[in-house]
Amino acid sequence: MKLAVELGGLRLKNPLIAASGTFGYGVEYESILDLSILGGLVSKGLYLEPRDGCAVPRIVETPSGLLNAIGLQGVGIRAFVRDVLPRLARYDTAVIVNVCGDTVEEYSEVARIAETPGVAALEINISCPNVKKGGMAFGGDPRMTHEVVAAVRKATRLPVIPKLSPNVADVTLFARVCEEAGADALSCINTLLGLSIDVERRVPRLAFGTGGLSGPAIRPIAVRMAWQAARAVRIPVIGVGGIAGTEDALEFLVAGCRAVQVGTANFVDPGVYARILDGLEAYLRRHQLESIDDVVGTLRYPADAPEGPGT
Amino acid sequence: MAPGAPVNRDVSLVGRQALEGPYVLLTFRHPEVAERARAGQFVMIKANTISEPILRRPFSVMTEAPGEGTFTLFVKVVGPGSRGLADLREGETAGCLGPLGRPFPLPPAGHEALLVAGGYGIAPFVLFGEELGRARRRARLFYGGRTVADLQVREPFAALDIPLACATDDGSFGHHGRVTEAVAAHLDMRPGPVTLYACGPDAMLHAVARLAEERGVPAQVSLDPWMGCGVGTCLGCVVRLRRAGEARPKYHCACTEGPVFDARDVVWP
Repeated sequence: MKLAVELGGLRLKNPLIAASGTFGYGVEYESILDLSILGGLVSKGLYLEPRDGCAVPRIVETPSGLLNAIGLQGVGIRAFVRDVLPRLARYDTAVIVNVCGDTVEEYSEVARIAETPGVAALEINISCPNVKKGGMAFGGDPRMTHEVVAAVRKATRLPVIPKLSPNVADVTLFARVCEEAGADALSCINTLLGLSIDVERRVPRLAFGTGGLSGPAIRPIAVRMAWQAARAVRIPVIGVGGIAGTEDALEFLVAGCRAVQVGTANFVDPGVYARILDGLEAYLRRHQLESIDDVVGTLRYPADAPEGPGT
Repeated sequence: MAPGAPVNRDVSLVGRQALEGPYVLLTFRHPEVAERARAGQFVMIKANTISEPILRRPFSVMTEAPGEGTFTLFVKVVGPGSRGLADLREGETAGCLGPLGRPFPLPPAGHEALLVAGGYGIAPFVLFGEELGRARRRARLFYGGRTVADLQVREPFAALDIPLACATDDGSFGHHGRVTEAVAAHLDMRPGPVTLYACGPDAMLHAVARLAEERGVPAQVSLDPWMGCGVGTCLGCVVRLRRAGEARPKYHCACTEGPVFDARDVVWP
Protein backbone atom coordinates (compact mmCIF):
# COMPACT_ATOMS: atom_id res chain seq x y z
CA MET A 1 0.00 0.00 0.00
CA LYS A 2 1.42 3.35 -1.01
CA LEU A 3 0.78 6.49 1.01
CA ALA A 4 3.48 8.49 -0.79
CA VAL A 5 2.41 11.34 -3.05
CA GLU A 6 4.15 13.65 -5.50
CA LEU A 7 3.36 17.34 -5.64
CA GLY A 8 4.92 19.28 -8.49
CA GLY A 9 8.47 18.11 -7.79
CA LEU A 10 7.91 17.68 -4.07
CA ARG A 11 7.81 14.06 -2.93
CA LEU A 12 6.04 13.32 0.35
CA LYS A 13 6.02 9.98 2.19
CA ASN A 14 2.35 10.53 2.94
CA PRO A 15 -0.24 13.20 2.12
CA LEU A 16 -0.41 14.75 5.62
CA ILE A 17 1.17 18.17 6.08
CA ALA A 18 1.04 20.37 9.18
CA ALA A 19 -0.47 23.72 8.16
CA SER A 20 1.29 27.02 8.57
CA GLY A 21 0.54 28.95 11.75
CA THR A 22 -0.72 25.89 13.59
CA PHE A 23 2.52 23.99 14.09
CA GLY A 24 4.98 26.71 15.08
CA TYR A 25 8.33 25.89 13.51
CA GLY A 26 7.83 22.16 14.10
CA VAL A 27 10.27 21.91 16.98
CA GLU A 28 7.57 22.92 19.48
CA TYR A 29 6.00 19.50 18.90
CA GLU A 30 9.17 17.40 18.81
CA SER A 31 8.84 16.28 22.44
CA ILE A 32 5.18 15.35 21.96
CA LEU A 33 5.09 13.49 18.65
CA ASP A 34 7.55 11.96 16.19
CA LEU A 35 7.82 14.58 13.44
CA SER A 36 9.00 11.87 11.04
CA ILE A 37 5.45 10.52 10.76
CA LEU A 38 4.45 13.72 8.91
CA GLY A 39 4.52 13.93 5.14
CA GLY A 40 5.61 17.51 5.66
CA LEU A 41 5.26 20.58 7.80
CA VAL A 42 4.83 24.23 6.88
CA SER A 43 6.53 26.80 9.09
CA LYS A 44 4.75 29.73 10.68
CA GLY A 45 4.82 32.67 8.22
CA LEU A 46 8.27 34.22 7.93
CA TYR A 47 9.28 37.72 6.95
CA LEU A 48 12.80 39.10 6.60
CA GLU A 49 12.67 40.49 10.13
CA PRO A 50 11.06 39.32 13.40
CA ARG A 51 7.47 40.53 13.92
CA ASP A 52 5.57 41.30 17.13
CA GLY A 53 2.10 40.41 15.87
CA CYS A 54 -1.27 41.73 17.02
CA ALA A 55 -2.42 42.88 20.44
CA VAL A 56 -4.47 40.50 22.61
CA PRO A 57 -7.06 39.00 22.57
CA ARG A 58 -5.83 37.15 19.50
CA ILE A 59 -8.04 34.08 19.49
CA VAL A 60 -11.71 33.48 20.19
CA GLU A 61 -13.79 30.36 19.73
CA THR A 62 -16.94 30.43 17.61
CA PRO A 63 -19.27 27.52 16.78
CA SER A 64 -17.08 24.68 15.45
CA GLY A 65 -14.41 27.23 14.71
CA LEU A 66 -11.53 29.34 15.86
CA LEU A 67 -11.27 33.01 14.91
CA ASN A 68 -7.74 34.36 15.13
CA ALA A 69 -5.78 37.51 14.52
CA ILE A 70 -2.21 36.66 15.48
CA GLY A 71 -0.68 39.00 12.93
CA LEU A 72 2.19 36.75 11.84
CA GLN A 73 4.29 37.10 15.00
CA GLY A 74 7.52 35.37 14.11
CA VAL A 75 11.28 35.10 14.37
CA GLY A 76 12.10 36.05 10.76
CA ILE A 77 13.62 33.88 8.04
CA ARG A 78 17.27 34.27 9.11
CA ALA A 79 16.68 33.06 12.67
CA PHE A 80 14.61 30.17 11.28
CA VAL A 81 17.40 29.06 8.95
CA ARG A 82 20.08 29.51 11.61
CA ASP A 83 18.35 28.15 14.73
CA VAL A 84 15.46 25.93 13.67
CA LEU A 85 16.43 24.17 10.43
CA PRO A 86 19.38 22.29 11.97
CA ARG A 87 17.03 20.86 14.60
CA LEU A 88 14.53 19.75 11.94
CA ALA A 89 17.25 18.01 9.93
CA ARG A 90 17.07 14.92 12.13
CA TYR A 91 13.48 14.21 11.07
CA ASP A 92 12.40 12.48 7.88
CA THR A 93 9.79 14.99 6.80
CA ALA A 94 9.54 17.70 4.14
CA VAL A 95 10.09 21.17 5.58
CA ILE A 96 8.13 23.85 3.72
CA VAL A 97 8.77 27.51 4.49
CA ASN A 98 5.80 29.88 4.52
CA VAL A 99 7.08 33.03 2.80
CA CYS A 100 5.62 36.44 3.75
CA GLY A 101 6.33 40.00 2.70
CA ASP A 102 5.09 43.56 2.90
CA THR A 103 6.39 44.08 -0.64
CA VAL A 104 7.08 41.92 -3.70
CA GLU A 105 10.80 42.48 -3.10
CA GLU A 106 10.52 41.16 0.45
CA TYR A 107 8.83 37.96 -0.73
CA SER A 108 11.69 37.42 -3.19
CA GLU A 109 14.35 38.10 -0.61
CA VAL A 110 12.78 35.73 1.95
CA ALA A 111 12.52 33.09 -0.81
CA ARG A 112 16.21 33.49 -1.69
CA ILE A 113 17.28 33.06 1.95
CA ALA A 114 14.94 30.10 2.38
CA GLU A 115 16.53 28.20 -0.50
CA THR A 116 18.93 26.27 1.64
CA PRO A 117 19.57 22.58 2.36
CA GLY A 118 16.77 21.21 4.52
CA VAL A 119 14.01 23.25 2.89
CA ALA A 120 11.89 21.23 0.46
CA ALA A 121 9.50 23.86 -0.88
CA LEU A 122 8.12 27.35 -0.36
CA GLU A 123 4.52 28.21 0.40
CA ILE A 124 3.69 31.80 -0.52
CA ASN A 125 1.45 33.54 1.95
CA ILE A 126 -0.76 35.80 -0.14
CA SER A 127 -3.81 35.19 1.97
CA CYS A 128 -3.26 36.14 5.63
CA PRO A 129 -6.24 38.30 6.62
CA ASN A 130 -4.54 39.71 9.75
CA VAL A 131 -1.89 42.06 8.39
CA LYS A 132 -2.33 45.54 6.96
CA LYS A 133 0.08 45.09 4.04
CA GLY A 134 0.87 42.01 1.95
CA GLY A 135 -1.13 38.90 2.81
CA MET A 136 -4.72 39.00 1.61
CA ALA A 137 -4.14 42.39 -0.02
CA PHE A 138 -1.97 40.54 -2.58
CA GLY A 139 -4.04 37.37 -2.74
CA GLY A 140 -7.25 39.28 -3.42
CA ASP A 141 -5.92 41.01 -6.54
CA PRO A 142 -5.12 38.84 -9.59
CA ARG A 143 -2.50 41.26 -10.88
CA MET A 144 -0.65 41.40 -7.54
CA THR A 145 -1.00 37.64 -7.14
CA HIS A 146 0.70 37.15 -10.50
CA GLU A 147 3.43 39.62 -9.63
CA VAL A 148 4.27 38.01 -6.26
CA VAL A 149 4.19 34.42 -7.52
CA ALA A 150 6.26 35.26 -10.62
CA ALA A 151 8.82 37.09 -8.47
CA VAL A 152 9.20 34.19 -6.06
CA ARG A 153 9.32 31.77 -9.00
CA LYS A 154 12.24 33.77 -10.35
CA ALA A 155 13.98 33.88 -6.97
CA THR A 156 14.08 30.14 -6.29
CA ARG A 157 14.45 26.69 -7.82
CA LEU A 158 12.40 25.15 -5.01
CA PRO A 159 8.79 24.14 -5.64
CA VAL A 160 6.57 27.21 -5.18
CA ILE A 161 3.15 26.76 -3.58
CA PRO A 162 0.92 29.86 -3.30
CA LYS A 163 -1.68 29.61 -0.52
CA LEU A 164 -4.94 30.91 -1.89
CA SER A 165 -7.40 33.15 -0.07
CA PRO A 166 -11.02 32.04 0.18
CA ASN A 167 -12.05 35.68 0.49
CA VAL A 168 -12.60 36.06 -3.25
CA ALA A 169 -15.63 35.50 -5.48
CA ASP A 170 -13.93 33.09 -7.89
CA VAL A 171 -11.05 31.03 -6.56
CA THR A 172 -10.43 29.44 -9.98
CA LEU A 173 -9.35 32.80 -11.39
CA PHE A 174 -6.59 33.00 -8.76
CA ALA A 175 -5.67 29.34 -9.19
CA ARG A 176 -5.13 29.90 -12.92
CA VAL A 177 -3.19 33.13 -12.35
CA CYS A 178 -0.84 31.26 -10.00
CA GLU A 179 -0.37 28.45 -12.50
CA GLU A 180 0.45 30.94 -15.26
CA ALA A 181 2.93 32.70 -12.96
CA GLY A 182 4.86 29.47 -12.53
CA ALA A 183 3.47 27.91 -9.36
CA ASP A 184 4.19 24.19 -8.88
CA ALA A 185 1.21 23.49 -6.63
CA LEU A 186 -1.49 25.36 -4.67
CA SER A 187 -2.58 25.34 -1.04
CA CYS A 188 -6.29 25.85 -0.83
CA ILE A 189 -7.48 27.58 1.43
CA ASN A 190 -6.36 30.07 4.07
CA THR A 191 -8.80 31.29 6.76
CA LEU A 192 -12.09 33.02 6.03
CA LEU A 193 -12.41 36.64 7.08
CA GLY A 194 -14.71 36.84 10.09
CA LEU A 195 -15.92 39.16 12.84
CA SER A 196 -17.12 38.24 16.31
CA ILE A 197 -18.67 40.87 18.55
CA ASP A 198 -18.92 41.27 22.32
CA VAL A 199 -22.44 42.69 22.43
CA GLU A 200 -22.25 43.84 26.06
CA ARG A 201 -19.30 46.12 25.33
CA ARG A 202 -20.17 46.47 21.62
CA VAL A 203 -16.59 45.90 20.50
CA PRO A 204 -14.95 43.18 18.41
CA ARG A 205 -13.89 40.20 20.52
CA LEU A 206 -10.46 40.28 18.85
CA ALA A 207 -8.13 43.24 19.44
CA PHE A 208 -7.37 43.44 15.69
CA GLY A 209 -11.10 43.68 14.88
CA THR A 210 -11.65 41.09 12.17
CA GLY A 211 -9.90 37.73 12.14
CA GLY A 212 -9.43 34.53 10.17
CA LEU A 213 -11.88 31.68 10.77
CA SER A 214 -10.57 28.11 10.81
CA GLY A 215 -11.69 24.74 12.12
CA PRO A 216 -14.49 22.34 11.16
CA ALA A 217 -16.84 25.30 10.59
CA ILE A 218 -15.09 26.13 7.30
CA ARG A 219 -14.57 22.60 5.98
CA PRO A 220 -17.42 22.48 3.42
CA ILE A 221 -16.31 25.83 2.00
CA ALA A 222 -12.71 24.64 1.82
CA VAL A 223 -13.66 21.37 0.15
CA ARG A 224 -15.75 23.24 -2.41
CA MET A 225 -12.97 25.72 -3.19
CA ALA A 226 -10.25 23.06 -3.34
CA TRP A 227 -12.48 21.02 -5.66
CA GLN A 228 -13.03 24.05 -7.93
CA ALA A 229 -9.33 24.90 -7.95
CA ALA A 230 -8.30 21.32 -8.68
CA ARG A 231 -10.58 21.27 -11.74
CA ALA A 232 -9.31 24.62 -12.97
CA VAL A 233 -5.57 23.91 -13.10
CA ARG A 234 -3.18 21.10 -14.01
CA ILE A 235 -0.84 21.66 -11.05
CA PRO A 236 -1.60 19.71 -7.85
CA VAL A 237 -3.77 21.19 -5.12
CA ILE A 238 -3.21 20.72 -1.38
CA GLY A 239 -6.50 20.85 0.49
CA VAL A 240 -6.68 22.65 3.83
CA GLY A 241 -9.55 23.79 6.02
CA GLY A 242 -11.09 22.15 9.07
CA ILE A 243 -9.53 18.69 8.80
CA ALA A 244 -9.73 16.90 12.15
CA GLY A 245 -10.05 13.25 11.16
CA THR A 246 -9.64 10.64 8.43
CA GLU A 247 -12.95 11.28 6.72
CA ASP A 248 -12.24 15.00 6.54
CA ALA A 249 -8.89 14.36 4.85
CA LEU A 250 -10.53 11.91 2.44
CA GLU A 251 -13.13 14.51 1.41
CA PHE A 252 -10.34 16.72 0.07
CA LEU A 253 -8.56 13.81 -1.63
CA VAL A 254 -11.74 12.59 -3.31
CA ALA A 255 -12.42 16.19 -4.36
CA GLY A 256 -9.14 16.20 -6.26
CA CYS A 257 -6.44 17.27 -3.80
CA ARG A 258 -3.13 15.40 -3.96
CA ALA A 259 -2.33 16.11 -0.31
CA VAL A 260 -3.90 17.82 2.69
CA GLN A 261 -2.90 20.10 5.53
CA VAL A 262 -4.09 19.77 9.10
CA GLY A 263 -4.34 23.07 10.95
CA THR A 264 -6.52 23.97 13.91
CA ALA A 265 -6.81 20.28 14.89
CA ASN A 266 -3.11 20.44 15.90
CA PHE A 267 -4.13 22.70 18.78
CA VAL A 268 -6.82 20.26 19.88
CA ASP A 269 -4.95 16.97 19.67
CA PRO A 270 -1.33 16.44 18.59
CA GLY A 271 -2.28 12.78 18.08
CA VAL A 272 -4.32 13.73 15.01
CA TYR A 273 -1.66 12.66 12.47
CA ALA A 274 -1.23 9.13 13.78
CA ARG A 275 -5.00 8.77 13.84
CA ILE A 276 -5.50 9.98 10.25
CA LEU A 277 -2.61 7.89 8.89
CA ASP A 278 -4.10 4.75 10.44
CA GLY A 279 -7.47 5.75 9.04
CA LEU A 280 -6.15 6.31 5.52
CA GLU A 281 -4.49 2.89 5.48
CA ALA A 282 -7.69 1.27 6.72
CA TYR A 283 -9.65 3.10 4.01
CA LEU A 284 -7.31 1.93 1.24
CA ARG A 285 -7.59 -1.64 2.53
CA ARG A 286 -11.35 -1.49 2.84
CA HIS A 287 -11.72 -0.15 -0.71
CA GLN A 288 -8.97 -2.46 -2.04
CA LEU A 289 -6.94 0.44 -3.40
CA GLU A 290 -3.19 0.46 -3.92
CA SER A 291 -2.33 4.07 -3.26
CA ILE A 292 -3.53 7.52 -2.28
CA ASP A 293 -3.42 8.44 -5.96
CA ASP A 294 -6.25 5.96 -6.52
CA VAL A 295 -8.44 8.13 -4.28
CA VAL A 296 -7.48 11.54 -5.66
CA GLY A 297 -10.15 13.16 -7.79
CA THR A 298 -12.55 10.21 -7.73
CA LEU A 299 -15.57 12.34 -6.85
CA ARG A 300 -18.64 11.26 -8.79
CA TYR A 301 -20.39 14.61 -9.08
CA PRO A 302 -23.90 14.66 -10.57
CA ALA A 303 -23.57 15.52 -14.23
CA ASP A 304 -26.48 17.93 -14.24
CA ALA A 305 -25.68 19.67 -10.94
CA PRO A 306 -24.38 23.24 -10.74
CA GLU A 307 -20.63 23.56 -10.31
CA GLY A 308 -20.19 27.16 -9.22
CA PRO A 309 -18.25 30.02 -10.78
CA GLY A 310 -15.32 29.40 -13.07
CA THR A 311 -15.77 25.66 -13.56
CA MET B 1 10.55 11.73 23.38
CA ALA B 2 12.63 13.59 25.96
CA PRO B 3 12.27 12.66 29.63
CA GLY B 4 9.97 15.08 31.42
CA ALA B 5 8.26 15.92 28.14
CA PRO B 6 4.50 16.35 28.05
CA VAL B 7 2.52 13.27 27.05
CA ASN B 8 -0.68 13.31 25.00
CA ARG B 9 -3.18 10.61 25.88
CA ASP B 10 -6.81 9.81 26.53
CA VAL B 11 -7.36 9.79 30.27
CA SER B 12 -10.13 7.96 32.15
CA LEU B 13 -12.02 9.65 34.93
CA VAL B 14 -11.38 7.51 37.99
CA GLY B 15 -12.89 9.71 40.69
CA ARG B 16 -15.16 12.68 41.14
CA GLN B 17 -16.16 14.60 44.24
CA ALA B 18 -18.81 17.27 43.90
CA LEU B 19 -18.18 20.27 46.11
CA GLU B 20 -20.52 23.16 46.84
CA GLY B 21 -21.95 25.22 44.00
CA PRO B 22 -20.11 25.07 40.67
CA TYR B 23 -17.03 23.30 42.05
CA VAL B 24 -15.94 19.69 41.55
CA LEU B 25 -12.78 17.64 42.06
CA LEU B 26 -11.96 15.32 39.14
CA THR B 27 -9.32 12.58 39.25
CA PHE B 28 -7.87 11.15 36.04
CA ARG B 29 -5.39 8.40 35.26
CA HIS B 30 -2.28 9.80 33.49
CA PRO B 31 0.93 8.22 34.81
CA GLU B 32 3.29 10.85 33.40
CA VAL B 33 1.36 13.80 34.80
CA ALA B 34 1.04 11.97 38.12
CA GLU B 35 4.78 11.32 38.15
CA ARG B 36 6.19 14.60 36.88
CA ALA B 37 3.83 17.53 37.23
CA ARG B 38 5.16 20.26 39.47
CA ALA B 39 3.17 22.95 41.22
CA GLY B 40 2.02 25.62 38.80
CA GLN B 41 2.12 23.30 35.80
CA PHE B 42 -1.06 22.51 33.92
CA VAL B 43 -2.72 20.13 31.50
CA MET B 44 -4.72 20.92 28.35
CA ILE B 45 -7.84 18.80 28.63
CA LYS B 46 -11.25 18.34 27.02
CA ALA B 47 -13.96 15.77 27.62
CA ASN B 48 -14.23 13.32 24.72
CA THR B 49 -17.99 13.32 25.25
CA ILE B 50 -18.37 16.82 23.78
CA SER B 51 -17.50 18.29 20.39
CA GLU B 52 -17.98 21.95 21.29
CA PRO B 53 -15.99 23.95 22.13
CA ILE B 54 -13.31 22.48 19.90
CA LEU B 55 -10.26 23.50 21.92
CA ARG B 56 -9.00 21.88 25.11
CA ARG B 57 -8.83 24.02 28.24
CA PRO B 58 -5.89 24.59 30.61
CA PHE B 59 -6.23 23.46 34.24
CA SER B 60 -3.61 23.54 36.99
CA VAL B 61 -2.75 20.20 38.50
CA MET B 62 -4.02 20.32 42.10
CA THR B 63 -2.72 17.04 43.48
CA GLU B 64 -1.04 13.94 42.14
CA ALA B 65 -0.75 10.34 43.29
CA PRO B 66 2.27 8.85 41.48
CA GLY B 67 1.65 5.43 43.04
CA GLU B 68 -1.83 5.24 41.51
CA GLY B 69 -0.82 7.10 38.33
CA THR B 70 -3.53 9.68 38.88
CA PHE B 71 -3.86 13.42 39.24
CA THR B 72 -6.69 15.65 40.42
CA LEU B 73 -8.09 18.89 39.00
CA PHE B 74 -10.15 21.46 40.85
CA VAL B 75 -12.75 22.57 38.33
CA LYS B 76 -15.19 25.46 38.53
CA VAL B 77 -17.93 25.12 35.94
CA VAL B 78 -17.93 28.42 34.05
CA GLY B 79 -18.72 27.39 30.46
CA PRO B 80 -19.20 24.45 28.10
CA GLY B 81 -15.57 23.22 28.33
CA SER B 82 -15.55 22.94 32.13
CA ARG B 83 -19.17 21.69 32.02
CA GLY B 84 -18.09 18.84 29.73
CA LEU B 85 -15.42 17.79 32.22
CA ALA B 86 -17.71 18.11 35.23
CA ASP B 87 -20.36 15.95 33.52
CA LEU B 88 -17.96 13.06 32.85
CA ARG B 89 -18.89 9.78 34.52
CA GLU B 90 -16.31 7.37 35.86
CA GLY B 91 -14.72 5.44 33.02
CA GLU B 92 -15.44 8.12 30.43
CA THR B 93 -12.41 9.78 28.90
CA ALA B 94 -10.89 13.14 28.10
CA GLY B 95 -8.08 14.09 25.71
CA CYS B 96 -5.23 15.35 27.85
CA LEU B 97 -1.75 16.77 27.21
CA GLY B 98 0.62 17.45 30.07
CA PRO B 99 2.41 18.36 32.19
CA LEU B 100 2.95 21.79 30.60
CA GLY B 101 4.42 25.13 31.52
CA ARG B 102 6.85 26.70 33.97
CA PRO B 103 6.22 25.69 37.59
CA PHE B 104 6.51 27.87 40.70
CA PRO B 105 10.18 28.23 41.65
CA LEU B 106 10.97 27.54 45.32
CA PRO B 107 11.66 30.64 47.42
CA PRO B 108 15.27 31.42 48.38
CA ALA B 109 16.48 29.70 51.55
CA GLY B 110 15.19 31.50 54.64
CA HIS B 111 12.22 33.04 52.80
CA GLU B 112 8.67 32.39 53.89
CA ALA B 113 6.35 31.69 50.93
CA LEU B 114 3.21 33.83 51.04
CA LEU B 115 0.64 32.13 48.83
CA VAL B 116 -2.16 34.37 47.56
CA ALA B 117 -5.13 32.60 45.98
CA GLY B 118 -8.30 34.03 44.48
CA GLY B 119 -11.21 31.63 43.91
CA TYR B 120 -10.23 28.65 41.76
CA GLY B 121 -6.69 30.06 41.76
CA ILE B 122 -6.24 27.90 44.86
CA ALA B 123 -5.62 24.82 42.68
CA PRO B 124 -1.81 24.90 42.21
CA PHE B 125 -1.13 25.78 45.84
CA VAL B 126 -2.03 22.35 47.20
CA LEU B 127 0.80 20.77 45.21
CA PHE B 128 3.04 23.76 45.99
CA GLY B 129 2.30 23.42 49.70
CA GLU B 130 3.53 19.83 49.52
CA GLU B 131 6.68 20.86 47.62
CA LEU B 132 7.40 23.63 50.13
CA GLY B 133 6.97 21.16 52.98
CA ARG B 134 9.42 18.72 51.40
CA ALA B 135 11.90 21.57 50.85
CA ARG B 136 11.42 22.65 54.50
CA ARG B 137 10.25 26.15 53.60
CA ARG B 138 7.68 27.94 55.72
CA ALA B 139 4.47 28.94 53.99
CA ARG B 140 1.31 30.89 54.71
CA LEU B 141 -1.83 31.02 52.60
CA PHE B 142 -4.13 33.99 51.91
CA TYR B 143 -7.32 32.79 50.26
CA GLY B 144 -9.94 35.15 48.88
CA GLY B 145 -13.30 34.86 47.14
CA ARG B 146 -16.55 36.67 46.63
CA THR B 147 -18.23 34.62 49.34
CA VAL B 148 -17.46 31.70 51.65
CA ALA B 149 -18.73 29.19 49.06
CA ASP B 150 -15.79 30.21 46.84
CA LEU B 151 -13.31 29.01 49.48
CA GLN B 152 -13.77 25.28 48.84
CA VAL B 153 -10.23 23.99 49.29
CA ARG B 154 -9.13 24.69 52.86
CA GLU B 155 -8.59 21.28 54.46
CA PRO B 156 -5.39 20.28 52.62
CA PHE B 157 -3.58 23.27 54.09
CA ALA B 158 -4.46 22.33 57.66
CA ALA B 159 -2.94 18.92 56.96
CA LEU B 160 0.17 20.65 55.60
CA ASP B 161 0.42 22.92 58.69
CA ILE B 162 0.14 25.98 56.48
CA PRO B 163 -1.57 28.87 58.33
CA LEU B 164 -4.58 30.12 56.42
CA ALA B 165 -6.07 33.63 56.33
CA CYS B 166 -9.30 33.99 54.38
CA ALA B 167 -11.00 37.04 52.91
CA THR B 168 -14.40 37.44 51.30
CA ASP B 169 -15.89 40.38 49.43
CA ASP B 170 -19.19 39.97 51.28
CA GLY B 171 -17.66 39.38 54.72
CA SER B 172 -19.21 35.91 55.02
CA PHE B 173 -15.90 34.41 56.10
CA GLY B 174 -12.57 35.80 57.31
CA HIS B 175 -11.46 39.34 56.50
CA HIS B 176 -14.24 41.46 54.98
CA GLY B 177 -12.58 42.80 51.86
CA ARG B 178 -9.81 42.01 49.41
CA VAL B 179 -7.39 39.19 50.03
CA THR B 180 -4.54 41.55 49.14
CA GLU B 181 -5.52 43.73 52.12
CA ALA B 182 -4.87 40.72 54.36
CA VAL B 183 -1.49 40.21 52.68
CA ALA B 184 -0.62 43.89 53.14
CA ALA B 185 -1.57 43.69 56.83
CA HIS B 186 0.75 40.71 57.23
CA LEU B 187 3.62 42.56 55.51
CA ASP B 188 2.96 45.52 57.86
CA MET B 189 4.07 43.26 60.72
CA ARG B 190 7.53 42.96 59.13
CA PRO B 191 7.56 39.17 58.98
CA GLY B 192 11.16 38.78 57.74
CA PRO B 193 12.12 37.81 54.19
CA VAL B 194 9.17 36.62 52.10
CA THR B 195 8.39 35.67 48.50
CA LEU B 196 4.86 36.20 47.19
CA TYR B 197 3.13 33.64 44.96
CA ALA B 198 -0.22 34.49 43.41
CA CYS B 199 -2.84 32.70 41.34
CA GLY B 200 -6.31 34.09 40.69
CA PRO B 201 -8.14 36.80 38.73
CA ASP B 202 -6.05 39.34 36.78
CA ALA B 203 -7.08 42.23 39.05
CA MET B 204 -5.83 40.31 42.10
CA LEU B 205 -2.56 39.39 40.36
CA HIS B 206 -2.01 43.01 39.41
CA ALA B 207 -2.71 44.08 43.01
CA VAL B 208 -0.19 41.53 44.28
CA ALA B 209 2.39 42.78 41.77
CA ARG B 210 1.85 46.38 42.96
CA LEU B 211 2.09 45.33 46.60
CA ALA B 212 5.31 43.41 45.91
CA GLU B 213 6.80 46.42 44.18
CA GLU B 214 5.80 48.83 46.97
CA ARG B 215 7.24 46.58 49.65
CA GLY B 216 10.30 45.51 47.67
CA VAL B 217 9.57 41.78 47.87
CA PRO B 218 9.83 39.26 45.04
CA ALA B 219 6.61 37.88 43.56
CA GLN B 220 5.70 35.08 41.16
CA VAL B 221 2.30 35.33 39.48
CA SER B 222 0.46 32.59 37.60
CA LEU B 223 -1.34 34.19 34.64
CA ASP B 224 -4.43 32.73 33.03
CA PRO B 225 -4.86 34.21 29.56
CA TRP B 226 -6.96 32.58 26.83
CA MET B 227 -4.96 29.58 25.71
CA GLY B 228 -5.34 27.63 22.46
CA CYS B 229 -2.71 24.91 22.22
CA GLY B 230 -0.60 24.85 25.40
CA VAL B 231 2.66 24.27 23.53
CA GLY B 232 3.59 27.64 22.05
CA THR B 233 2.31 27.31 18.50
CA CYS B 234 -1.02 29.17 18.33
CA LEU B 235 0.51 32.32 19.87
CA GLY B 236 -2.91 33.15 21.30
CA CYS B 237 -1.96 33.29 24.99
CA VAL B 238 0.86 35.80 24.71
CA VAL B 239 1.53 38.28 27.53
CA ARG B 240 3.66 41.41 27.35
CA LEU B 241 6.85 41.14 29.35
CA ARG B 242 9.61 43.66 29.79
CA ARG B 243 12.59 41.76 31.07
CA ALA B 244 15.60 43.42 32.69
CA GLY B 245 17.94 44.80 30.03
CA GLU B 246 15.32 44.76 27.24
CA ALA B 247 14.60 48.07 25.56
CA ARG B 248 10.92 47.40 24.93
CA PRO B 249 8.24 44.91 25.96
CA LYS B 250 7.78 41.77 23.89
CA TYR B 251 5.09 39.12 23.61
CA HIS B 252 5.82 35.81 25.30
CA CYS B 253 3.74 32.65 25.37
CA ALA B 254 2.10 32.08 28.76
CA CYS B 255 1.87 28.36 28.01
CA THR B 256 5.58 27.67 27.48
CA GLU B 257 7.40 30.53 29.22
CA GLY B 258 4.74 30.77 31.95
CA PRO B 259 2.09 30.52 33.19
CA VAL B 260 4.20 31.48 36.22
CA PHE B 261 6.12 34.73 35.66
CA ASP B 262 8.21 37.06 37.79
CA ALA B 263 5.74 39.87 38.57
CA ARG B 264 8.35 42.55 37.82
CA ASP B 265 8.54 41.46 34.18
CA VAL B 266 4.81 41.65 33.45
CA VAL B 267 3.49 44.70 31.59
CA TRP B 268 -0.02 44.95 33.07
CA PRO B 269 -2.77 46.00 30.67
